[in-house]
Amino acid sequence: VSALPTERIVGGINADEDYWEYLARGEFRLSHCAQCKRTIWPAHFRCGECGSWDIEWVQHRPTGVVFTWTRTWYSFDRTSERAEDIPYVTVVCEVDDGDGARVMGMLEGDESGLRVGARVHGEIKAPSAKSKGYPSICWVLDGSD
Amino acid sequence: MAQGLRGAAAIVGIGETPYYKRGTSPDPELKLCLRAIVGACEDAGISPKDVDGFVSYGSELNHGQRLVPALGTKEMRFNALVWTHGGGIPGALGLAAMAIATGQAECVAVYRAMAELSNTRLRVAVAQNDTAAQYLVNGLDGPAQMCALRSMRMLEFDGVPRSAMRAMVLASYHHARNNPHAYGRTTEIDDDLYAESRWIAEPYHVFDCSRENDSAAAVLVVSAERAKDFADEPAYILSAPHGIEGQWGGVVEENHRPYTSSGFRAVARRLWDESGYGPSDVHVAQIYENMSGMGIAAVIDHGFCTAEEAGDFFTVENLTAPNGKFPINTAGGNLAEGFLHGMGLVPEMVRQIRGTSTNQVPGAALSLMTGGPGDSVVSSALVGSAATL
Repeated sequence: VSALPTERIVGGINADEDYWEYLARGEFRLSHCAQCKRTIWPAHFRCGECGSWDIEWVQHRPTGVVFTWTRTWYSFDRTSERAEDIPYVTVVCEVDDGDGARVMGMLEGDESGLRVGARVHGEIKAPSAKSKGYPSICWVLDGSD
Repeated sequence: MAQGLRGAAAIVGIGETPYYKRGTSPDPELKLCLRAIVGACEDAGISPKDVDGFVSYGSELNHGQRLVPALGTKEMRFNALVWTHGGGIPGALGLAAMAIATGQAECVAVYRAMAELSNTRLRVAVAQNDTAAQYLVNGLDGPAQMCALRSMRMLEFDGVPRSAMRAMVLASYHHARNNPHAYGRTTEIDDDLYAESRWIAEPYHVFDCSRENDSAAAVLVVSAERAKDFADEPAYILSAPHGIEGQWGGVVEENHRPYTSSGFRAVARRLWDESGYGPSDVHVAQIYENMSGMGIAAVIDHGFCTAEEAGDFFTVENLTAPNGKFPINTAGGNLAEGFLHGMGLVPEMVRQIRGTSTNQVPGAALSLMTGGPGDSVVSSALVGSAATL
């Protein structure tokens, strides 16, 4: 039984269904090529390097560095569920040992050390209206919790 | 390198409706579109019945087949869209030039029309429902925030100073004041007002962000041979490539490499190769700035300056006509003339060649337009006077 909402978000490549399913089980997994082993992120249907069609989902430590970030001060049309949280920070995290893969998440907790290069760790959140019924990973600055 | 498209076609007609506040156009989108195309025909002295090609980009909904009955089209011979969003505009000129160079069509309209009441919230329309879950789950709706992520790293990691973004904004509003067509012509802005204006998504203030207008614009592309017969100086298309380097991206959810490139490196290389010109030859440029910082990244990608040089390069003095070293967005650009998903930059690129801009660069003969920066696919165009062929 899928943990994901019936009304799926259809944009993007849409090969990351398993990412969300694993998150719902509390596991942070990224897609890899089963043949050449490289991280494929965002997930896709074929390894563009070696040509393999076999994709596997490999568990990663949810740690890394802030690759970039933004603080949102405006309630945009399609993310209005977060209006009450404005201003909020979204982080793009470069995951450790992930071949440079970058994974987005909300920043939780103290924001005072926020900068490109700051170390973060992830916490998995249950589905909520704010995350459009999807489970999510949020990023927390190391030393702030 | 093959010289197949260089100078094969030229832009001979331009047509524009006014820029209205979004949601206030007196006409629905399709009618605005017709007005722009008929306006381009009147400008060129071509009968609308003789337009036989229709090209646009991204989320354009006013397909050629909807226009044919009202234009009295004799025969539609070419009808196509360049994929992606605003990244595709100059590429649409390239596609039109290809159709003409290969004999598929003789007179191609390249156009864009937007009116919120007959479409949807325009910034939602442009997203084309192709925003990945990674964004929407994490409070990221659209271009302003995605571009903010990229510009944040450009500032914090690459070291481009914030003053560069401010100069881009102030130069745009400076030019808009002389342009009676500009939606932002009465907006007074200075360093303090910019700095104190509200945030949208850091590092962007509201003035760093384009805001959609109801509007339409069109240009007509014909063969170089035919272009000689028109009264105005034709703007010959010297190169208008689209594409991306594979490693840079496509749809990669902020996994672009290098990240702070806005995607133009390969396109810029081909633009300079095919045209035979380089950055130092360009007299004036229309730089698509969905957001100010992305325009800066586009200029860096095209080789006009490096990230290290950006602080000295992006000053109001350098960026403004008639005397700046690198005049940009001389009608006010997306920020201050009006935002028609970038299409307003095309007529201005042509006016600079004709010598009819309200912020004319004296003697401009090589005029550049860069498409929507950071889009999943991008394009650029260099046009020139007959002397540049």
